[in-house]
Amino acid sequence: MKDNNAASNALISVQSLKKSFGDKDVLTDISVDVNKGDVVCVIGPSGSGKSTFLRCLNRLEEPTGGHIFFEGVDICDPKVDIDMHRRKMGMVFQQFNLFPHMTIMKNLTVAPIKLLSLSQEEAESYARELLSKVGLLDRAGDYPMQLSGGQQQRIAIVRALCMKPDVMLFDEPTSALDPEMVGEVLSVMKDLAHEKMTMVVVTHEMGFAREVANRIMFMDEGRFIEEAAPEEFFVSPKNERTRLFLSKVL
Amino acid sequence: MWENFKSQFILNFVDDNRWHYLTDGLFITLEITVFAALLGLVLGFIIAVIRHNHEKTGKLKIANALCSLYLTIIRGTPVVVQLMIIYFVVFGSVRIDKVLVAVIAFGINSGAYQAEIFRSGIQSIPKGQYEAGRTLGFSYRQTMLTVIMPQALRSVVPTLLNELIALLKETSVAGYIALGDLTKGGDIIRSRTYSAFMPLIAVALIYLTLVLIMESIVKRIERRLKKNER
Repeated sequence: MKDNNAASNALISVQSLKKSFGDKDVLTDISVDVNKGDVVCVIGPSGSGKSTFLRCLNRLEEPTGGHIFFEGVDICDPKVDIDMHRRKMGMVFQQFNLFPHMTIMKNLTVAPIKLLSLSQEEAESYARELLSKVGLLDRAGDYPMQLSGGQQQRIAIVRALCMKPDVMLFDEPTSALDPEMVGEVLSVMKDLAHEKMTMVVVTHEMGFAREVANRIMFMDEGRFIEEAAPEEFFVSPKNERTRLFLSKVL
Repeated sequence: MWENFKSQFILNFVDDNRWHYLTDGLFITLEITVFAALLGLVLGFIIAVIRHNHEKTGKLKIANALCSLYLTIIRGTPVVVQLMIIYFVVFGSVRIDKVLVAVIAFGINSGAYQAEIFRSGIQSIPKGQYEAGRTLGFSYRQTMLTVIMPQALRSVVPTLLNELIALLKETSVAGYIALGDLTKGGDIIRSRTYSAFMPLIAVALIYLTLVLIMESIVKRIERRLKKNER
């Protein structure tokens, strides 16, 4: 049991998090710290609660119990203005969720201009800088539907980065992609990890987890049942269920 | 036969300048339709936003309950009954312009239907759009204004115009409060000339023409929206 009084030095400190939908318990008593610079990959069978856990971190799902400290603030406190904290937590979805009625450039700049009070020039020059990093600078004037899935997901990552977040949450970012497009998205995420971005990634990409993560968390039936460094996790998992899962997916 | 047609035409429309009943009536019909549609637009939009806000955030409980009540009553009773209640009961003891009464009655009626149109427009936007807006840090309000509404309104325009067409035809019961709209105008001519065919067919043709014009506008807009869809 963790010390409930002191929010530790962790960037995100999850303490006894619970979530149920009706009388179905999806998350049962989760406690975990994410430190600055961590790349945490959450893996596990479908329906184990991975996505729900991730979506609780920025209260896209409202936790039914427990606390989440983000940069020292308990964001589960109903008095907290969650919108302020969400600016610092970028999120990337399985379905990209770009805004179809805006150009790529508008997608990237609408939030920084409105929420961070950047001028249009500042927002656009930062957006261009990031766009060129992911190799999509020439698509700035296009609309999302004109782009392939992989390109849209790279744009979605850039959109989150334009808010200069302190942590990036990825909810199965490659699961909706055609296989040949998975690589381009993973490579952007890899670059991000090398730049020491703190990342929490729900994924089925075992190769990515093994190569990029510094911590692997295995989730089953609403709780983390094993955590380890990648080598140890994939080579000599301790838990029986982890072993069973890995034998099926590897 | 031709002579008969000609004399009937003169009797019904030319003698005593009876065509005025139709043109004056048409003007009133259009007046009621346009202003009632605008009132309905405002009401419908506000109601849709209240109901959606309640669904998403759980706030505005009382306002939402009032909206549900309003929708149930308006959509559960005939518009002509609503019109008469508003004229004879609500404004029964005050002198008030009948056109204004009709605008209020048809506006309140249309608002209920437009509210549902707006709501279905908002609901047609995938939930991921809302979530993407909120995770960037936009408030509920900002998300609605910058992400959801621009998409929802675009998808809703053709349906709204169809509601306007229905409204135009519905205003034909305005005669129940002795208002001289287009239908009433035709009916007055009939009662003067004791000939029903000409004035009523004329009225029908005028409605039909208006509806066909509006439908062609809807089709044009639908085509443009499709072209712009990305």
